[in-house]
Amino acid sequence: MLMLAQLVNALVIGTLYALMSLGLSLIFGVLKLVNFAHGESLMVGGYLYLFLASFFLSHSCGLPLPLALITSMAAVFVFGLILERLFLRSAYERKTARYDEYVILVTFTLGIFLQNLALPLFGPYNRQAPAIFTGRIKIGDLVIAGDRISAAVIAFLIIALLLFFLYRTYLGKGLRAVAQNPDAASILGISVARMRGMAFGIGISLAGVAGALLGPIFLVNPGMGVPFAIKAFVIVVLGGMGSIKGTIIGAFILAMVENFGSILLPDPTRALAYKDAYGLLLLILTLLFRPQGLFGEKERRA
Amino acid sequence: MGFKSLAMILGVFMLFVVMPGAHAEDVVKIGIVAPLSAPGGVETGQALVDGAKIAAEELNQSGGLLGKKVELVIGDTSGVPEKGTAVMERMVTHDKVVAVGGEAHSSVTMAEMEVAHRYNIPLVISEAWADEITAKGYPEVFRLTVCNSLIYSKAAKWIKDSGFKHVAVIGENSDWGMGVIKVFKDNLMAAGVKVTSFSAERTTTDFTPQLLQLKSASPPVDFLVDGFTGAGELLMIKQAYELGLAPTKNCALLGAGMDTLYPGFWDTVGEAGVYVLSNPAGLPGIPKTETSEKFTQLFKDKFQREPDAVAMEGYDTVMVIAEAIKLSGSTASKELIDAMENKLSWLGTRGTITFSKEKNPPWAYHLWMDVPVFIIQYTEFKQDPSKAAILWPEEYATVESYIQPPK
Repeated sequence: MLMLAQLVNALVIGTLYALMSLGLSLIFGVLKLVNFAHGESLMVGGYLYLFLASFFLSHSCGLPLPLALITSMAAVFVFGLILERLFLRSAYERKTARYDEYVILVTFTLGIFLQNLALPLFGPYNRQAPAIFTGRIKIGDLVIAGDRISAAVIAFLIIALLLFFLYRTYLGKGLRAVAQNPDAASILGISVARMRGMAFGIGISLAGVAGALLGPIFLVNPGMGVPFAIKAFVIVVLGGMGSIKGTIIGAFILAMVENFGSILLPDPTRALAYKDAYGLLLLILTLLFRPQGLFGEKERRA
Repeated sequence: MGFKSLAMILGVFMLFVVMPGAHAEDVVKIGIVAPLSAPGGVETGQALVDGAKIAAEELNQSGGLLGKKVELVIGDTSGVPEKGTAVMERMVTHDKVVAVGGEAHSSVTMAEMEVAHRYNIPLVISEAWADEITAKGYPEVFRLTVCNSLIYSKAAKWIKDSGFKHVAVIGENSDWGMGVIKVFKDNLMAAGVKVTSFSAERTTTDFTPQLLQLKSASPPVDFLVDGFTGAGELLMIKQAYELGLAPTKNCALLGAGMDTLYPGFWDTVGEAGVYVLSNPAGLPGIPKTETSEKFTQLFKDKFQREPDAVAMEGYDTVMVIAEAIKLSGSTASKELIDAMENKLSWLGTRGTITFSKEKNPPWAYHLWMDVPVFIIQYTEFKQDPSKAAILWPEEYATVESYIQPPK
């Protein structure tokens, strides 16, 4: 029973990890840049949901919390489109020399800026966002917290929608085409610039909605995104940069390793202390033995 | 680089160096270090600064110190040791403070006291509990709050006397958290109580794996000690409650960090907070002193809430430094340290503060030995700590024993 409870917790956390890392993976795949402001996008989503939820609750709108969730996701999407237009598109279109270094600096600066903007704006305090479903679910001896299970179910649905979008719709295929080969996609009439904006918007909004779902479970504060962003980096490298399938599987592997690592280590008094180390150990091993990640493609050099 | 630009840089540099010197003549600057952003215990830091501000206002209204105005220099350490060192360096070398007070994280204090020791600047610690701070024997360092050994050896005795059989301690891997684990282990295991302990990174957000493990422990865990500060402390309480572990009929929960004392506690943990135990180093009005009544009124007027242990410590910290300046008639470090060590006996918000010169046990050095400590228990949702049931010490207890939750 204990192992089953641990497994359920790992699956719940894994689903949430997958949701937040998919955005990072998508942005990397299409824009070929590592979004160092991913954790902060998550934080923005967390705060948006917090404020929208309390606003909708006090104005008794139909379904206040799901509405707050969708609105915050949409708002972060628009935020992403604007950011891409302002800071990234010019670098791409003008073929800026040292594009890679430029985008690292831009996203890094953006992350620091957002975090330090949130500090005076919202205060440094831990805030509790309302969960869509509270209470506990009991199945025999198994107890699962309601906020977690509802967040995991919603995250699962969003991931399913995303996969449908990427593999079954014209726009989604366009995104994947640009990720595979931007020049060929461009020749075939796909607007690469538009796809890049789209990918950045969707990628950031996935982080935002992950923040909205994590807020009720792990509290909202200006630094909330940092530990999750580190985990997302580990997951994306583990699964293979830009691979959707790899990211999802990587997320579950990390959640399992963290969860079971912190109870199965022979010295139980220290097991929890190394929780973050398990993920980083996994990252080092991946980089040593399979640098392209589990499902990543080996770089082809002419 | 040409001569002109070099001269200009030098000129700008000189401006910065000379300016504060000219200003320092007409004010007495006291540094306050506190965690005011994550990952530090933010509400603790804010309470400390709030208390200190009231003290500074009061001093200035009655003419300041040595005929000069008192100015607080407030530094945010984020609960990060390296930041503590940097803030201290800046306060001492750039702001030219005469003494520094505050801090609520032991690991940060350990870094800050090295700077204080190097520059021979008095450092009065408000709310950091690790034994090592005073045990190190630095003459510059004073502490007007409890230390781990002083409180948890007593709390451990209370736990044993209350009949708890299996105590689990989850502590953060900081100087304070590891100290909590050690003192509970040392005192309880000697008394025949089983102790299970875990340490974890301070940024840990999910305690579910360990809590699940504790839930199926045998013999069953009947007392859980939450040895975290900041978000971790609140999340552990929330998660333990959601999993049906504690606080329940079968298991009590002690939130050892100070985040159990602020309004944010109820907003974040909700109904999980009812029946939680806490251990504040002071409660407003107990014992009732002239200073505590005056301070409680001033604090309520300014901040529209009841003061808490840390706010009282913040006030006492600034006042103790001020008292030392008055006693010695000087702001020289040597005189201030001498005054605090040998002459100081000041009636504060929590009793009469004097600093011990005893070095056995080592942590007693420059510690206020009579600092009041309480074990309180919340009995209602959204209860203010000052209204909670007092379980210990006996002379102030409002209930006979630990209140078992009905479910």
